[in-house]
Amino acid sequence: MTVLGSPPSSVPAAASTSSDTAAGADPAARTVDTHCPYCALQCAMTLTVTPAPGGDRVEVAPRDFPTSQGGLCQKGWTAAALLDHPDRLLFPQVRGDDGELHRATWDEALELVASRIDAIRTADGPDAVAVFGGGGLTNEKAYTLGKFARLALRTAMIDYNGRFCMSSAAAAGNRSLGIDRGMPFPLPDLQGADAVLLLGSNVADTMPPFVAHLEGVRRRGGLVVVDPRTSATAALTESGQGLHLRTLPGADQVLLLGLLHLLVAEDLVDHAYLADRTTGWEDVRRAVATWWPQRVADRTGVPEAQLRQTAHLLAAASPGRGGRGAYVLTGRGAEQHVDGTDTVTAAINLALALGLPGRVGSGYGCLTGQGNGQGGREHGQKSDQLPGYRLIADPAARAHVAGVWGVDAEVIPGPGVPAVELLSRLGRPAAEGGVRALMVHGSNPVVSAPDAGAVAAGLASLDLLVVCDLVPNETTALADVVLPVTQWAEEDGTMTNLEGRLLRRRRAVDAPGEVRDELHVLADLAARLACPAPLAREAAEVTAELAAASAGGRADYGALTLERAGSDTGLHWPMPAGAPEGTPRLFLDRFAHPDGRARMIATSPPTGPADDVRADRPYYLATGRVLAQYQSGAQTRRVTALSRSAPGAHVEIHPQTARAVGVGDGDRVLVASDRGQLTAPVRLTRSIRPDTVFVPFHWPGEGRANSLTTAATDPVSGMPEFKTCAVSLAPAPPEESL
Amino acid sequence: MTHNPTVHPVTRPPAGPLRVVVVGAGMVGHRLVEDLLRQDPPGAGLAVHWVGDEAYAAYNRILLSEVLADRHDLAALELPRLTDPRLTTHLGVPVRRIDRAAHRVELADGRRLAYDHLVLATGADAVVPPLPGLTPRPRRAHVLRSVDDARDVLAGSLGAHHAVVLGGGLLGLEAATALRRRGVAVTLLQRDGQLAEAQLERRPAELLAATLRDLGIDVRCDDGIAEVLVDGGEVVAVRTCAGDLIATDLLLLSTGARPRDALAAEAGLPVRRGVVVGDDLRSPADPRISAVGDCAAPPEGGSGLVAPGWAQASWLAADLLASGASPRRPVAQSPTARPLTRLKAAGVDLVVMGERADGAPGGRSVTVDDPASRRSVSIVVRDGRLVGVTCLGAPDLSPSLSVAWERRTPTPVDPLALLLPEAAEEEGNPALMPGDTAVCRCNGVTKRDVVSAWDAGADSVPDVAQATRATTGCGGCRSLVCGLVDWLREVDPHPSAAGAPGHDDRSSSARQAVSQQQAPAGEQIVPERQHDAPLPATSASYGA
Repeated sequence: MTVLGSPPSSVPAAASTSSDTAAGADPAARTVDTHCPYCALQCAMTLTVTPAPGGDRVEVAPRDFPTSQGGLCQKGWTAAALLDHPDRLLFPQVRGDDGELHRATWDEALELVASRIDAIRTADGPDAVAVFGGGGLTNEKAYTLGKFARLALRTAMIDYNGRFCMSSAAAAGNRSLGIDRGMPFPLPDLQGADAVLLLGSNVADTMPPFVAHLEGVRRRGGLVVVDPRTSATAALTESGQGLHLRTLPGADQVLLLGLLHLLVAEDLVDHAYLADRTTGWEDVRRAVATWWPQRVADRTGVPEAQLRQTAHLLAAASPGRGGRGAYVLTGRGAEQHVDGTDTVTAAINLALALGLPGRVGSGYGCLTGQGNGQGGREHGQKSDQLPGYRLIADPAARAHVAGVWGVDAEVIPGPGVPAVELLSRLGRPAAEGGVRALMVHGSNPVVSAPDAGAVAAGLASLDLLVVCDLVPNETTALADVVLPVTQWAEEDGTMTNLEGRLLRRRRAVDAPGEVRDELHVLADLAARLACPAPLAREAAEVTAELAAASAGGRADYGALTLERAGSDTGLHWPMPAGAPEGTPRLFLDRFAHPDGRARMIATSPPTGPADDVRADRPYYLATGRVLAQYQSGAQTRRVTALSRSAPGAHVEIHPQTARAVGVGDGDRVLVASDRGQLTAPVRLTRSIRPDTVFVPFHWPGEGRANSLTTAATDPVSGMPEFKTCAVSLAPAPPEESL
Repeated sequence: MTHNPTVHPVTRPPAGPLRVVVVGAGMVGHRLVEDLLRQDPPGAGLAVHWVGDEAYAAYNRILLSEVLADRHDLAALELPRLTDPRLTTHLGVPVRRIDRAAHRVELADGRRLAYDHLVLATGADAVVPPLPGLTPRPRRAHVLRSVDDARDVLAGSLGAHHAVVLGGGLLGLEAATALRRRGVAVTLLQRDGQLAEAQLERRPAELLAATLRDLGIDVRCDDGIAEVLVDGGEVVAVRTCAGDLIATDLLLLSTGARPRDALAAEAGLPVRRGVVVGDDLRSPADPRISAVGDCAAPPEGGSGLVAPGWAQASWLAADLLASGASPRRPVAQSPTARPLTRLKAAGVDLVVMGERADGAPGGRSVTVDDPASRRSVSIVVRDGRLVGVTCLGAPDLSPSLSVAWERRTPTPVDPLALLLPEAAEEEGNPALMPGDTAVCRCNGVTKRDVVSAWDAGADSVPDVAQATRATTGCGGCRSLVCGLVDWLREVDPHPSAAGAPGHDDRSSSARQAVSQQQAPAGEQIVPERQHDAPLPATSASYGA
């Protein structure tokens, strides 16, 4: 069985051989250690750069590291293909009177952006200018973007696409545990557990090398995957390696309440831990009294026997009952709902009742998605936050950050609005709180935002849309000004992975054409916008400033330097100035609330999804990812090998449902919600529930899944309900002949 | 059933808070108070008095049989405590009377509570049948309705030799299995022919009886109790209608419930096996008084189940707080439809909902009848929707049926598909696998890619890994790649490696060095490979 999960021992060796060989073959070749540009696992890689006429040649090889263990998926292996891709944006472009984008000089483009922004904010006020950031930006860029918005633009209107990923888990983590670090323990800790409950995450497709860390628990039969689909991850439970609980979409909270009910009913909770380390248990205990297993089975579709098995498995694995340890992990499938925050809260309550968080070898964690989804939410891209996870409404936080920035605290605007609300204001009159100008960094909301048709219309009606990116995408296509910026192997900085580990991103090659680092772009624009404090231009300077600004905050990076992030295994925050070795495991002594206790908060699930099935929309749509694509696909759709693996959107349909609808494998099917429709080929599979269809969201145009999704959001976190809406299915009309 | 768009007077007073008195601290009363507090718009003003005659805080009554079955901790039945400045709770105090003229209720301790609206959620009492020997009620004769009852039955079950359960409704079935689970011999008597008459068709009822007998319960249909024999104030035996004498030290009476409607009747409100209310849950005689849950007699009839009571409570809470007309209360699809009802009994999986298969004109019904495994599943499908389910002995199937019924999702063209578990996927066999089957998902490597690597000289798993990157992601495809390599070695051996046994991890350079020295082209006959043909009989298969 070791072959299934453990990294093949031959691979790191083969990788280092090949890079040695390459280096040996060409004395001019050099190697650079960095990390993958894509997801939050941030697999370690070594780039071999060989000078060649017409540009350096870059080869990727995996590198041994505690998280990726010498693994890479297809996305990582092919990452270098985008460095010299013919589609790269190489120079600034400005939309002319003819409606087309035309090449411009940096001076022309920056001057235009600055003067238009100045005019708009003079006429409509600073909040008519907004910023939309991304969870793929380095810590340094994310920090600088937040500072740029508050000081150079003086706008409260900044938020980012991480709101679509992590906001529910973040809100719940802060509320319950006092801090939001996705996994508050090192990933390799999972290996030793007797049970792992994984809700709504398809790691086998989204971050394949993660699966190696599940080997131990699978061997012991303890992996429990909760997913409406028999995803590649759910399939890891087969042959006695665990259980797959195939829930109805949107029923995760009910399932969790049912599991906690069973622990209470059979008195399997850790009373000593609950008494010593938590508050609120009595309320939570009573709140689950109405979620008896038979009722939960009928609400979730999960048989009672599986519920009992899961509860017993978790209890037996818990340290209080002599087990080796247990983990509860959540992903977007559990979080991207209108009750996402409460669902995560219920997951944390379950973990606390079992006595898991803050014990070595056990815990609760959420699996961050985007490359810097963790760091990106800590340093000021969120509408209500300042660096170090400080709240922008907190006077002490404002004073501290203002001190680092060298400005008066009054200069810093107050809280803005979260992403979905921000996007809904695009193009509306300024007098109604509308946004007239938008700067987009590292995001493609035309594809990735919910109810994307409405977002595209909003973007099109702006007075000014400025997009910084590396390749053209569906959002740059609407922009007035497009600014070409560096990507992963062309820049320095730090990234924070899914377990809060600081990693070093290293520059390996020069950027092509006139491409500039976003740090430079923002600094230059700030200077043109009469920013009261200059913005640093170099990553090392920004890292130092970020460390000072975050010091003492919830996400304390006080001791961070580029060198420390580049150490052998990286460093986990918090790393206050006095503890530069970092903190791999949180909560061992106390939780991050003033009384040191975790707060258990009773939750109660809604009766169903915001947009529930009904006679004219009788099926659920679930959206998600495929292995070979990343996010809106602007990068990965351009990599030949990846496009070959996943060439376009498809609709996963159960054969029974396909027969009822009258479509066969490969036929085009029309999927429609109250907001929009898509057409894509059918992929028949028994891995999906008959009442649900699945569409990956990486593609634009007629296959765009987010044309259908609802903009209904979680009242606490602002997370949109990507994972469930009601749709109808019909055979697509024949394509018109060209 | 008629659905007149009922217009009722708005009860919110012109000034001051809305005063609501809720009588009954059971599960439905609890839900009503909880929803009132949760939905009350800020600043609107609300003052709730909540009166319960049991001394205990609200608890989950329907899990009492699970407590009896030793599957639920008695201490864990409590419902969330409702504490709120807008709420005053009076526990352990019965209501003496309702003064409709003065809009007041009088409590047994003499206090008076004024109301703008009064909600009765007083529930129901267990029926004690008028059998000889039961008046006055002897010791060791129990009902199971309250937490006190559960304690008594539990205490009585300790050391009991033989229990008799009278009544084959759901509660009787749950109690009988629970007692059996505690090691007590049990006789279950059901006078009216079949078990769970309100829920089940004849055939599944027979199989249900067989299931209980399998658990060791002595099930006697068509037999009831003629007389309870009492000695020294204790039950010692029962004489059945058929004349049998059964010695017993625990008699559990489970013969139904009677709505507690006396308060309403004494106040002059119409009652008919419950407080009569309209679609709007108001008494037709007094729009300031509503009834919900087991004490109510709404137009659709009482169910005795908690879910419909909760739905009534939630609707009423919203309606009382609404400033204008509120949407009509949703009620069951048809008066004959069964609410979703699931038996809570270890070892017996029974769930019913909607129409019965034996009374479904115009519907299509499909039945699987499997007496040997005590399984009987029937469904009724109409207009492409599942409208009825009776599911006994199919615990893995029943939750998916209840979800489909509740959400009204479309049924398959052939409804039989609803009853058949998912067909197992055929395990991939290297020979039968189509060329474009993904072998390594992490790196998008297909079977064709592995074969191409083989053709290009790769001869081992590490070779294939280096050439295709297969196995270098999660590593989960390693056994499959091993299988493919072994298969290729079998059907298309490289000249030097023909017949090499097992997994070969020699380096590719070594293999190439050897192969370059040997075997001039054409001298060796390489068998034609058929990638998509069945495996040779000698070859191993690698399905898993």
